[in-house]
Amino acid sequence: MLEMTGVSYHYQPGKPAVDNVSLCIRAGEFAAIAGRNGSGKTTLTRLVMSLIKPANGQIVLNGVNTSSQSPGDIARHVGYVFQNPDSQIFRDTVASEVAYGPEQLGFSAPEIASSVAEALEKTGLTALADVYPRSLSRGQKQRVTIASALAMKPDILILDEPTSGQDAKEKESLLRILTELNEQGKTIILVTHDMDILARYAKRVVVMASGAKVFDGPVAELFAQGNDIRKWGLRAPAIMNISRKLSKYGVFPVLTATELSQQIAERVQRGRM
Amino acid sequence: MKQLAPLTKLVFTVAVSIWAMLLTSLPGLGLLAVAQVVTLAVCGLLGRTYKGILSLTGFAVVLILVQYALGSELEAAIAGGLRMIDMATVFVILLATTKMQSLTTALVSQCRVPQEYAFMFTTALRFIPDFLAESKAVREAQACRGYTGKGGIVRRFTSYLALVGPLVLRAVSRSETMALSLELRGFGAGRRSFSTDVGLKFRDYCTLLGMIALTAGFTAGRIVYGW
Repeated sequence: MLEMTGVSYHYQPGKPAVDNVSLCIRAGEFAAIAGRNGSGKTTLTRLVMSLIKPANGQIVLNGVNTSSQSPGDIARHVGYVFQNPDSQIFRDTVASEVAYGPEQLGFSAPEIASSVAEALEKTGLTALADVYPRSLSRGQKQRVTIASALAMKPDILILDEPTSGQDAKEKESLLRILTELNEQGKTIILVTHDMDILARYAKRVVVMASGAKVFDGPVAELFAQGNDIRKWGLRAPAIMNISRKLSKYGVFPVLTATELSQQIAERVQRGRM
Repeated sequence: MKQLAPLTKLVFTVAVSIWAMLLTSLPGLGLLAVAQVVTLAVCGLLGRTYKGILSLTGFAVVLILVQYALGSELEAAIAGGLRMIDMATVFVILLATTKMQSLTTALVSQCRVPQEYAFMFTTALRFIPDFLAESKAVREAQACRGYTGKGGIVRRFTSYLALVGPLVLRAVSRSETMALSLELRGFGAGRRSFSTDVGLKFRDYCTLLGMIALTAGFTAGRIVYGW
């Protein structure tokens, strides 16, 4: 579906922001791109959107090389949700804001109406359709941007740090929406350095460090890397650290609170704790 | 250049503008432009500023063509373009070599400009790169939603609202936040002090004397030799 082969990009000569990265994202995946600030995560996704062009290598999206495509062309297949929703919101109502993308892509009026209604419904914004979007909370605004991307009917959704500046409830709500979208077949690529989110929701993790891809695999495998993850600017989620500390009671390292509570409940029932 | 006090650089900015007005010959104006580019290169700032200089050059070419098309003589049109480059490049030098905080301090404590005006001036200057970065972010966000900016004049104008809207709203929001933050930190509360040392040193006095000598030389050259 999305294949990057030997992709490199430099903002300054001699300092690669993305260095010879090869990556394949298949349909229906829920992948996360992680790494410390400046590791090349966002540059990688900007390359996918054709906002910048690779200095070397190629990016193939649905069998088509994207080198001659504009971000508008890519938007038909990939929805991009920026970290700051205020960068894009400019219309008077949530519904008209969400309709902007389909209008730009030349959808017919009935298609626009149905795609907007569907996108609002999937993001839980139907009741806010006529509200002025700038008056919404940060989490709601972020949902407007997700709805804006969804209304363009993309196969892939890329979200750059979508949970920044949100409280726990808003984060939870947003990630539930993403999980549902993924279950409905949408490919999700999440750029994040929030290890708890990564551990709970992503199935696959790509770790970037100094522009290079240093890890690509399942989440559990990432946290089994020991000291390497610290070197890459990551840390194990709190639940994993707690479960490791409980290993003397026979608890195995786990990634989610649900898994940990199940283990503890089992051991308590058997009288081992 | 970086070692000089902000006041010296402010005087240098004014002096270069005066020299550009005094000089009328193309070699003189060209030499002034080259000298400024060399100054940037010597300060190690050419890599950071060359895009701005190239843009200025492009704008100067347009200015020359417009003047020529409107009936000016070619030499006068080129002189106008070079003069614009001279007067604009010196601002690039000033801004690339001076911290905004030092500039505000110099304007308030040495030039006796009211603090509010000095702060407004330096904040406006600082706002330009922020605004350009913001503009890029908005353009990219809308490009990912299908914005192209192509089509007829009406379509281009209406589609431009997708960029202008978020930019204006964010600029207003940012200035509100900044105003509140400044007030909360005591801006305008009364007599203030400065942590930056902007006092003139020996090298500043030498540079100022050099500038006076050059200005006198250019004035004499203009009167006696018609430079």
